[in-house]
Amino acid sequence: MMRMRNLEISRREAIRRAAAAAATLAVTSLSSPASAAAPLSVQDVLDRMKQRIGTPWFEGGVDRIIAGAAGSEVKGIGTAMMATFDALKDTVKAGANLLITHEPTFWSHPDTLTSLMDDPLYKVKQDYIREHNLVSFHFHDHWHALRPVDGINRGTRDQMGWTDYMDPKNQRIYDLPPTTLLALAREFQTKLGARTLRVVGDPSLPVKRVYESWGYCSPFPGVDFLDSDVDAMVIGEAQDWDLIAYAQDAVASGRKKALIILGHVRSEMWGMKYCAEWLRGFVPEVPVHFIPNIEPYWNIEEPVFEINTKL
Amino acid sequence: MADTSTSLLSESGNAPASAPAQAPPAQRAPETFRRPPQHSGPVTALQFVQRICAKSALPTAANLEDSVIAGDPTTAITGIATTAIATLDCLRTAAASGRNLIVTLEPIFWADEDNLDRMEGNRQFQAKRDFIRSYNLVCFHLHGHWPASGPDGIALGMAKELGWENNFADPATPTRFKLPPTTLLSLARELAAKLNSRTMRIVGDPSLPVESVAAIWGNAPQMPALHLLNEPVDVVLTGYTHEWEAVEYVQDMISAGRKKGMILLGEARSEQAGMKYCAEWLKTFISEVPIEFVPSVEPYWNLHHPDTEIAAEPPTANR
Repeated sequence: MMRMRNLEISRREAIRRAAAAAATLAVTSLSSPASAAAPLSVQDVLDRMKQRIGTPWFEGGVDRIIAGAAGSEVKGIGTAMMATFDALKDTVKAGANLLITHEPTFWSHPDTLTSLMDDPLYKVKQDYIREHNLVSFHFHDHWHALRPVDGINRGTRDQMGWTDYMDPKNQRIYDLPPTTLLALAREFQTKLGARTLRVVGDPSLPVKRVYESWGYCSPFPGVDFLDSDVDAMVIGEAQDWDLIAYAQDAVASGRKKALIILGHVRSEMWGMKYCAEWLRGFVPEVPVHFIPNIEPYWNIEEPVFEINTKL
Repeated sequence: MADTSTSLLSESGNAPASAPAQAPPAQRAPETFRRPPQHSGPVTALQFVQRICAKSALPTAANLEDSVIAGDPTTAITGIATTAIATLDCLRTAAASGRNLIVTLEPIFWADEDNLDRMEGNRQFQAKRDFIRSYNLVCFHLHGHWPASGPDGIALGMAKELGWENNFADPATPTRFKLPPTTLLSLARELAAKLNSRTMRIVGDPSLPVESVAAIWGNAPQMPALHLLNEPVDVVLTGYTHEWEAVEYVQDMISAGRKKGMILLGEARSEQAGMKYCAEWLKTFISEVPIEFVPSVEPYWNLHHPDTEIAAEPPTANR
């Protein structure tokens, strides 16, 4: 029953900030990879990322080093959707120590630590990070600001095999071969491994034009996306009492609309798979690994336990 | 009532039926005096809302949520419907049976506090508003805060629905339960059956031994959820919580070797029995009109149950 305003800075806001920063862009030359003599530092990797993101680096968002030091030597890089404890363990297992994560390390969008100082799990996770010389870098806003196509959009689009269907005027709309809502939901389940996805709408609804908002979708502009000339909208997650209720009322009033809710991690993690590929293009000194996150949930029809409980 | 007024008038010879009660003359025996009726007309929405507020523990500060969100407060009420969320389905059901005061736990217009700033020109907003007007409905957003004292009504209603009223770990906290030993999967199956949930999602080991269960019915904000997970509870039940906050946290707890689980029921499934109980509570102080609980459909389906519960009206021009 408790309600808290969502403080997440949306990717629309991130893009707006990027555009504002572009107005003051100074010409920067791309640095070449560090010479073999100098060890590769976290800062070196971040500097190269900043130069290649296609938009000037901007402050005021959530992108920063959350744990660890910029001067640490990079042995290997992991990219993940979310810096869960499992993802940290997998990073170590891969022999890497820089984890570039799209979502938080410490359970809030801005990785706010003020209320966590006495939190036992915070201590366990921080200790693990220190013991293994890990560095966690939150890479949310700028990866969405990648041009010409948002890094997350591109990764999920590639995973779906939808490159040819993208609307040339709007990178978030796809014109698909005619299908039905049920068939489209099955396609998402197969290609994104989203076993617990949920759908609002008539399963037999004919679907051709789809609006994506991978990740969390706030009611505005979510309502506008659903109201645009599309048959269905696909998102990561939303709140039941805003966008989902709006979609429910749209269906109840006879509108031919639908909403597919994939889960946050499963909808965006492919963007971090693409991030690994992107990094390999300009960080040749160390291996770069995509660290897949598990789907957090299961349904009673298909109970599974995938969390790694070994320390 | 008319007979009473007439006889009263004939006895006193001067007081009209609507006049305030007057002290009986000293020489008249008390049993011969009959108090005039205070109400001869129908009760308005605002009168019921005021009566409900007086029986609640609403915050003293201005509260935007607990107010009449839509409809004319002077409307004569013919029946009351309580519901978890006043979706269009729910409004139709209520209107069909003449229940025109809707008491809803969640918003009517798809936003916290029913903020309408972004709804100008939105045709779905206009359609819902027009439906409310055309059926003389009045929507009252009551986000908890009842009754005025004693256990929270939503929590008590959920406990009753689950049949866990004798399983409170502490009677003062009707969201903490001590259950006969079970497992996370068995508990989830029990909840699915009792709360009619097809799409609930579970985090944790299905074979986790479970005895101690705590709930944050509805939405679980980050900090209360994190604190609750650190209490000696095996499983936390909730409606919804952000996937990058408490969901990530409980995964990390399990990954760190703690024995924990979480069940996400969906917002309406996790609180609507509280509104079922609200209907019973309203009956204890409202007797003029019928009161009923209107259950919500589950808004979504999943691939294990690929059929929708939403009843669609024929398409309109309002695409």
